[in-house]
Amino acid sequence: MVEFKLPDVGEGIHEAEVLQWLVSPGQTVARDQPMVELQTDKAVVEIPSPVAGVVAEIRAKAGTMARVGDVLIVIRETGQSPPAVEEPPTAQPRPPALGISGPGQRVLAAPAVRKLALELGIDLAQVPGSGPAGRVLPNDVRHFANQKPAESSPTPEPRPPAAPLRAMPPGQEVVDEEPLRGLRRRIAQRMEQAWQIPHVTVFDEADAAHLVDMRRRLAPEAERQGVKLTYMPFFIKAAVQTLKEFPYFNASLDMAGQKILLRRYYHLGLAVAVPDGLMVPVIRHANRLNLLQLAAEVARLAELARQRKLSQPELSGSTFTITNFGSFGAAQGTPIINPPEVAILGCGRIEDKPVAVAGQVQVRPMLPLALSIDHRLLDGAAAAQFLTRLNQRLSDPARLLLELP
Amino acid sequence: MVVGDLATAVDVAVLGAGPGGYVAAIRAAQLGKEVVLIDPHPPGGTCLHQGCIPAKALLTAAGHAAALADMPAMGIAVGEPFIDLPRMQQWKNGLVTRLAGGVQQLLAHHRIEVITGRAWFTGPQELQVEGEHGINRFLFDRAVIAVGGSPAPLPGLPFDNQRVLTPAQALVLTHLPGHIAIFGADTVAAELATIFIKLGAAVTLALPADQPLLAQFAPSAVRLVQARLKKLGVTIKKDMPNLAALDAPIVVISAGITPNTGNLGLNAAGVQTDKVGFVRVTPQMQTTNPAIYAVGDVTGGPPLAGLAIKQGKVAALALANQPARFEPQAVPWVAWTDPQIAAVGFTPAQAQAAGYQGVSGRFPLGANGRALTLNAADGFALVVAEKESGVLLGVTIVGRQAEALIGEVALALEMGATLTDLAETIHPHPSVSESFMEAAEAALGIAVHIK
Repeated sequence: MVEFKLPDVGEGIHEAEVLQWLVSPGQTVARDQPMVELQTDKAVVEIPSPVAGVVAEIRAKAGTMARVGDVLIVIRETGQSPPAVEEPPTAQPRPPALGISGPGQRVLAAPAVRKLALELGIDLAQVPGSGPAGRVLPNDVRHFANQKPAESSPTPEPRPPAAPLRAMPPGQEVVDEEPLRGLRRRIAQRMEQAWQIPHVTVFDEADAAHLVDMRRRLAPEAERQGVKLTYMPFFIKAAVQTLKEFPYFNASLDMAGQKILLRRYYHLGLAVAVPDGLMVPVIRHANRLNLLQLAAEVARLAELARQRKLSQPELSGSTFTITNFGSFGAAQGTPIINPPEVAILGCGRIEDKPVAVAGQVQVRPMLPLALSIDHRLLDGAAAAQFLTRLNQRLSDPARLLLELP
Repeated sequence: MVVGDLATAVDVAVLGAGPGGYVAAIRAAQLGKEVVLIDPHPPGGTCLHQGCIPAKALLTAAGHAAALADMPAMGIAVGEPFIDLPRMQQWKNGLVTRLAGGVQQLLAHHRIEVITGRAWFTGPQELQVEGEHGINRFLFDRAVIAVGGSPAPLPGLPFDNQRVLTPAQALVLTHLPGHIAIFGADTVAAELATIFIKLGAAVTLALPADQPLLAQFAPSAVRLVQARLKKLGVTIKKDMPNLAALDAPIVVISAGITPNTGNLGLNAAGVQTDKVGFVRVTPQMQTTNPAIYAVGDVTGGPPLAGLAIKQGKVAALALANQPARFEPQAVPWVAWTDPQIAAVGFTPAQAQAAGYQGVSGRFPLGANGRALTLNAADGFALVVAEKESGVLLGVTIVGRQAEALIGEVALALEMGATLTDLAETIHPHPSVSESFMEAAEAALGIAVHIK
């Protein structure tokens, strides 16, 4: 018998949530066959079986939290590796689907099961099928739905906008109950924690004409080098330079130890929307990267976040965070600090607006900026200065060149 | 209805009352929406009035006429048939009228307002209709574009309804031409050739350059149809360089469709099309204007009514904010030829091209008792499956009633069935459907009725 315990996956992770089991008692497992999906801080990891054998017992039920050292599963080892095992019920690359359904992974499921998955907001490709040839059965979908927040659909479809003109007929106040699980639970906990911080948000608008122009000129060159140049690398560059000027914005507050920790490195967190919530991958030593390298790193991390494949170091240790809600079309927002950081920058949508320039009304592309600070450590005046300096860098991005190391 | 500038507010406006449009209208009404359905023609669309239904009626009649040639061998002495084409057309029109009446009743039952007229968008959520009572304006919450397509003319050879006919115009002829040339390689062309040769006309089937006949089907299936057409007397000309070479008094052209989006005001509505004019849609059938959906031929997919119907249902659900997605696993294609070809999923060659390691099994109808008693031994069933898992990838059936038989395997493919599922299912005996079971067994290496 092999008792498999939750391993120490590093970086201060003490517990993990058991998302779902990919094996069941009595099932033969091969060595290295994926057994279970665990959710650590913000990443989902698949744990392979350390041995070949038969599953004797599953100790940690799906949906529960397991601590490092807890026994997750008991496997009865077989002498030698068993003969051809069943295809692991994980999503594997398959040849293209049929007919006009186009290339992609074919998921075997009855039309009624597809409808059920659609109604529950489940991506069938994520559901392990227990039927013949890995066919997904109705209970597989229901089981999966009970383990995940129901709005999780890794490929979000453009939902038709709501709001028909007519009023809702009475008697239709349906309430569906869902367990708070997975990433959503994690976000809820973090936000509750963040809300302990006394927030102050200051706003400004940058004249983004030069920035827009610069990005437009550099984008084709970046593309030739295989990199899509967005505004984010500029935001990061400007933020890092400003953080160097205002070290208390790149700090944390240790209330228990009555200390202020001034971090002399610049790990920039980027808030990334993923299908079932929000992740904050981290660009380590952002000050050492040039714009192209930043752009490539942003793209790489955002993609990994969407696939939920970020490693622990890529998800922790940030010293300052930027959230670009403009990329989702929002003009303004009040960002919430990502503890233990003490400040966060929000960038809105660049939009042509009439502004007064030298007594004349001109149309300029304006970039809304919002900076939230931890008022325990920072004050409104400092926040305003920080934002003003950041604004100068974004309004005249050529300044960034002056400050190159 | 108010004539003039006052606009009527509706939940859903459906433009086009073909199978995609009227089904979308009914499903939306079932979901509690107030719906108007707008079309210059009576509900039913091209399929019911000018296309599938009339063609199938004439195929049946012509098929009976041709089958008389086989009667003497069965001990039935018959004389030379006399084809009364006007009478045949009357019979066909009677069917169409009856079906159209049924659609009208369904629409009335769901309290859908049917407006006869031509509609065009004047804004993102506004349209006008020019009908028998003048011009009306509608403000809609959601709209569905289901205006379909029209036969594409060949360059320099416009349809004149005299010598150059659309397929629909050919289907209403009341005088059988001595010689008719059909230009095209699709199912429409093949079916028209079948109808007219069986009614007694001389038929030339001219295949456009580089277009083999019925290219979407397995070549072995098409060979049977081609052989039968030739045996019936059809002259098949391949790679027609130009139509001047066709000396027939009547030429029918079936060269695809163009979308009916020309005068629809799509710019005003913010609905984008591709270069040809087909409307771009998401898997929810949503266009670039989130309030407007599009279904059927106008979206540029294969021009199959079955697809339009499914898309209409998806659009209705989506516009009512219900989860829906157009993601067919299996699309059945049928050529109502002689013998019929019906196929779903991949042919063996297509499966291989898509990257599958396939295994296939074939069962000839000559070894099927029921096919012989139907006097229809021409044909076969062909299955292809993924080699390792046995999961079905596609099925083709050639033979009598292939159209009816394909439903079984379409369901099998949708369900993700395996060769074993098909082989283990009890099939009635004797029946042509047994050939699926036998073909699956052949793929598994255990067929009983073939060596």
